[in-house]
Amino acid sequence: MRNVCVIAGGQSTWGLRRASQRDLFQEAGKACFDSNDLISNKNIDGLIVASAGTGRCSLQTHLAPLVAEYLGIKPESVCARVELSGASGSAGIIMAYGLIKSGVADVVMVAGGEKLHLPQCREADYSGPGSLDRDWDGAMGLGLPPLFALAAKQHMKKYGTTEEQMALVAVKNRRNGMNNPKGQFREPVDLKTALNAKTVVQPLKLFDCCPVTDGAAAIILAVEDKARYFTDQPLVYIRGCAQASAGNMTANMASWTTWEALKTAARQAYRNARIQPQDVDVAQTHDCFTIAEIIAYEDLGFCEKGEGGCFIQEGKADFGGQVPVNTDGGLLSCGHPPGATGIRQGIEIMRQLRGDAVRQVAGARIGLTHNLSGAISAHTVVVYGRDLE
Amino acid sequence: MKGISLLEGKYAVTMDPYPQQSKEFNRIHPFYENLRQKRFTTTRCRSCGWRSFPPRVICPECLSTELEWVDLPVRGRVLVVTEEETGVPAGFDPPLIHALIDLDGQLTYFGRVINCATGELKEGDEVKLAVFRVEPVPVDAKKGAVILQERVFFAFEKVK
Repeated sequence: MRNVCVIAGGQSTWGLRRASQRDLFQEAGKACFDSNDLISNKNIDGLIVASAGTGRCSLQTHLAPLVAEYLGIKPESVCARVELSGASGSAGIIMAYGLIKSGVADVVMVAGGEKLHLPQCREADYSGPGSLDRDWDGAMGLGLPPLFALAAKQHMKKYGTTEEQMALVAVKNRRNGMNNPKGQFREPVDLKTALNAKTVVQPLKLFDCCPVTDGAAAIILAVEDKARYFTDQPLVYIRGCAQASAGNMTANMASWTTWEALKTAARQAYRNARIQPQDVDVAQTHDCFTIAEIIAYEDLGFCEKGEGGCFIQEGKADFGGQVPVNTDGGLLSCGHPPGATGIRQGIEIMRQLRGDAVRQVAGARIGLTHNLSGAISAHTVVVYGRDLE
Repeated sequence: MKGISLLEGKYAVTMDPYPQQSKEFNRIHPFYENLRQKRFTTTRCRSCGWRSFPPRVICPECLSTELEWVDLPVRGRVLVVTEEETGVPAGFDPPLIHALIDLDGQLTYFGRVINCATGELKEGDEVKLAVFRVEPVPVDAKKGAVILQERVFFAFEKVK
């Protein structure tokens, strides 16, 4: 059986950047290679590029060969782009995992990135509906924030979740992101400020929402025997993964408070990894909005349904709690370039499991990443481990 | 209703938030033709009876192509209201009022409510289909002519 490991990772600085998409990919590629002296661009046999906005914002398709040329990579096993909106990066990791596992490729870089503030700063408002069912939900004036506002309102009504509990997610993740030199926001936010911030869409306020972000990230996956050759760090395995979708247009969403596709993806990923939810030591979840992190605690099985609000309030998602979540600041602090987010999450989990994270979860052996995408209509879960069993 | 409004309409036509609707571009053009008659319709499979939304050209359950057009309710009741104050998509002006609407148990629609002031719409209110014209789309015709194809779209409005 071929086992798959992550052996290097790095990112560009994220934020409102004065740089082109290809500048950002170069920065991320260099940061990735610089993170591991034992591997170079000449050792990569495959490249998967993840980007959702490239066609729209940079008018650039056929992106993977361009990134390969700029990073000095000459792919000979795979060279293609994948897209799954906000989960594009995780989709790339899953594809690379499958190709390595099956013997098609040995050492693959997954590089994700976006330049979203083009051709003008409001581009994200223009192109947001493109990740929904554009002809129906998009034409209705729907972007992403109202979907999560609806989920929040329903969750509050059904389970008594409060605006304060949602704000606590923002407070935690902003605190976690303070020492992340490449994140978009590095300033903490206190509870009062979060609760009194400008409303975006009720009940979500400014700090409940992740920003629009330019940025890139890159990670290298390798088959185990080559991983041993190309790193002197502890090996981190990809133990299991899954993606699920159960309806795309909002009118076909069975429930706004229980995300069935997330439960399915989690169940499959846990089964593949041969673990239970309670085995997870550290997790990076898709906190595009604070309510999303709360629902993810529940549907990933970290707590019972409806208890996500209490989970954050009781500190169970913080350092020292049951399972520290979004230890590098998550989307709320780091920002969210859709193609790069899943890769950033994978890099943070790799560091946590190796023991060299900026803010370390002591003794972490099993880590998890979760991405959602579109109208909450697809979910991706990847389980990483220091051990294979 | 505004379609391509930003930058004085000079931004690329791909900013257009509304779909192409005429028979040249779309096999489900009857939906829009029915909409002009203030009917809210979709397709149902003649083979297995599955009613889809949005309308289709194949049945996603049994893959039959034998579909028929059926009417959906044009009145519904508001389950949840949320008002969006900033960051709305291109071609729309804030505030946008979105409501989860129960269309007589047949469909739970997350739709926009228009002709309604902030704070006016409440849970339990009755709403009805509202059809309006949107920006026509320019289409190349023969001999260099450009014709403007008329289009419509829909939202909901409060029954007063």
